[in-house]
Amino acid sequence: MQVSCSHCGLEFDESVMITEPDNEELYFCCNGCQGVYHLLKDDGLDSFYEKKGNNTLSQPLAIDKDSSNFDKESFFQRYVKTTHEGFNRVDLIIEGIHCAACIWLNEKVLDQTDGIVEASINFTNNKAKVVWDNDIIKLSQIIDKIRSIGYNAYPYDKTENEIKATKNQRDYFLRMSIAIFSSMNIMMIDIAKYTGFFTGMKQNTVELIHIAEFIFSTPVLLYSGWIFFRGAYFGLKNKIINMDFLVSSGATLTYIYSLYVLFGGVGHSYFDSVTMIITFVLVGKFLEVKGKKNAMDTMDTIKANIPLEATIIKDGVKKVVLLDEIEVGDIIEVRAGEKASVDGEVISGSASFDESSLTGESIPVYKTIGSKIYSGTINTDQVIRYKALKDYANSTLNNIVELLEESLNSKPKIEDTTNELSKYFSITILSLALASFIGWYFYNGNFENALIIAISVIVIACPCALALATPIASLVGVSWLSKEGLLFKEAKFIETFAKITTVVFDKTGTITQGKLKVINSSLDLNDDQLNILYSLTSSSTHPVSVSVKDYLEQNYKNLKELELQNIKQISAKGLEAQYNNQNIFGGRDDEQSDYTTFIFKIDDKLLAKFELEDSIKDEAYKVIEELKQQNIKTIICSGDNTNVVKNIANQIGIEQYYGNMSPKDKADFISKLKNDKQTVIMVGDGINDSLALSRADISIAMGNGADVAIAISDIVILNDKLNGITKSLYISKRTFGFIKQNLTISLIYNLITIPIALLGYVIPLVAALSMSLSSLLVVGNSMRINNHKFDKEK
Amino acid sequence: MDNSAVLWLELAVGVVVSFTLLGIFIWAVKSGQFDDSKKAMDGLLFDSPEDLQAAYDKEQKIKKLKQKKTQ
Repeated sequence: MQVSCSHCGLEFDESVMITEPDNEELYFCCNGCQGVYHLLKDDGLDSFYEKKGNNTLSQPLAIDKDSSNFDKESFFQRYVKTTHEGFNRVDLIIEGIHCAACIWLNEKVLDQTDGIVEASINFTNNKAKVVWDNDIIKLSQIIDKIRSIGYNAYPYDKTENEIKATKNQRDYFLRMSIAIFSSMNIMMIDIAKYTGFFTGMKQNTVELIHIAEFIFSTPVLLYSGWIFFRGAYFGLKNKIINMDFLVSSGATLTYIYSLYVLFGGVGHSYFDSVTMIITFVLVGKFLEVKGKKNAMDTMDTIKANIPLEATIIKDGVKKVVLLDEIEVGDIIEVRAGEKASVDGEVISGSASFDESSLTGESIPVYKTIGSKIYSGTINTDQVIRYKALKDYANSTLNNIVELLEESLNSKPKIEDTTNELSKYFSITILSLALASFIGWYFYNGNFENALIIAISVIVIACPCALALATPIASLVGVSWLSKEGLLFKEAKFIETFAKITTVVFDKTGTITQGKLKVINSSLDLNDDQLNILYSLTSSSTHPVSVSVKDYLEQNYKNLKELELQNIKQISAKGLEAQYNNQNIFGGRDDEQSDYTTFIFKIDDKLLAKFELEDSIKDEAYKVIEELKQQNIKTIICSGDNTNVVKNIANQIGIEQYYGNMSPKDKADFISKLKNDKQTVIMVGDGINDSLALSRADISIAMGNGADVAIAISDIVILNDKLNGITKSLYISKRTFGFIKQNLTISLIYNLITIPIALLGYVIPLVAALSMSLSSLLVVGNSMRINNHKFDKEK
Repeated sequence: MDNSAVLWLELAVGVVVSFTLLGIFIWAVKSGQFDDSKKAMDGLLFDSPEDLQAAYDKEQKIKKLKQKKTQ
């Protein structure tokens, strides 16, 4: 029977749960959960479980690392600031936050701790500000406190850019809120206005309505719409007529015309159009600003990968130095669990390094004398010494961080059709308005009449249909995509997606499952030996051991875990243990193979051998075939070795493939494709892909990928299924088709109404009807986009 | 009072109330209360009398620490 853990809420079989004799209702999935549960109970914080509700947590992070690093001089120099009252302040990222109750718990625990002046955690980005009195409590004690309740904290450097981005987001949020507030009020007033318009309304009531609309639309145009004026100004300064110009000129002229009507002129006011247009476009802009801020927040997570200091050996003496002090040629010592600080070459010892942050491969790489070490990779077992070949500034991890920051700031803007069209449209309409003003003024000599006709041309032509043509269709398309589990961060990617020519895939985790699977095995074991093998593989979290254990569980019944003695991890080889005076070994085979191997020996006698391979996702074959049918080129770029990449590429029918690629190689390859006039999509999931993702026209990340990859990408496939790409392509093409239809409708509308306006026949009734009708046509047409059931179509 | 006058009065009251609330909202945004959109959404869940008491106790604690520091 499945029961849920009393702390984290995760469900497990009752037989594996920890229970307590004095309270049979309590179940714990691990000692960590049990410990935290009792700690909270003892501290009177058990209302946390009420607040948590049905949310589940991950199991408490078991961190046995020493926190004394947080009290070091070098740490203080880099991360700690002093407030004007003389307290210390640090900015942290809290790991393990799942719900609002987690925030409550962390803040509560810190607030109750003596010496902490302020602790506030942001739920959106999990960043915390902690102010404390160093005379009462040390920072390491604060970190230990956070760790004791199952979370972890690491510092980040709050930059000027982040402060600016927060301010910018706040600014856009305020402008957007005011625009939405005013629009909602104007929409309510509009109900009265249009009802009265067709059923009859006293002139003084109409005036009152105009005044109310004037009051609400003025802040929208002058405050919320300010950014469009600014955008139009910078555009004109660079000799570009952009969408901002269309929005600002259309809204301003409509506003001026409505003011004329308000102060006694003849006609119909359009204050509602002014607010609607600005609000609509502003919401899109706000989401863009928010997306950029999120990407910046996630960059801080990568930066936290950079170690603070390194141990160097000078004249036989160990010395801890800051990264900037490391010089080329210095001898650096890296112990188990530590990160390499700069790039270099091993001179003594051998160890396995986790390079997943650079290559995406989860299996640690064996390094011995002469092997290259890359900064940011983690030593998983033995102590090694290596010679620095580069200083910190030129090392791999710092290079990636710098290039990513650069890409975030300079991601090329996609020139969409509406933007292009608006350029010519604005010029044409403004010229026509000017021509009609001059023409009418010379024809009848009436300045006011000529001005009204000129403005009517702009009012009739500008705001509604064209500005709505793309956003409404995109909105329908994007919401359909999101129902299919495809998160498009901006609607404009629909157009680019519809025009793609090349798709570049990462291998591990994208085309393959990212998990090893036993494909061949030869076993000569009795039940006892099988249980010994099972127990040995259960004692390690190494991906190969885990896969062999899974294989045994799937193929054999009644496996029993035995108590092995002296279990030891041998650097880059495997595991050694003893059982009933027998020497047991499980690990790598020294013989060369195209596959990852695992052998099992008892007293040096080979009893079992397994060959493992990363398995290809089921839907990969079909996706590649469908892309090929649409003449879209498919390529694999991977950090794994070329033979493995070739094998996978051949199986799924991709002719172009590249192995042994560093993150920068991948990014350069994408740039090269773009230089060859290809419209490129990059699909990836790891930190190692993030640079290439940032360079592509469209980047797609898998939902279970690294945070950085998700933050940088334009599209996230939430269910990790590769057919999300073909689905996105279908929906994007269909939506883009409707955008083109909408633009045609709006152009036809303008072709009919502009001549009427030019001739001076725009009476209020015609204007009101035609503006509403054109918008309704565009909206109605867009509603047809998701009229197709996806499964039937496929 | 004729209908038109009532409408004018309603408009005036409506505008004053709306803009006062808007003013409060602007102050809240500028002071950073909406920077954390997720927390703002969940804020209501943590407004029990105990939470308010805890917030008061926290204020007092900060006051004491600041006083101690300046002495």
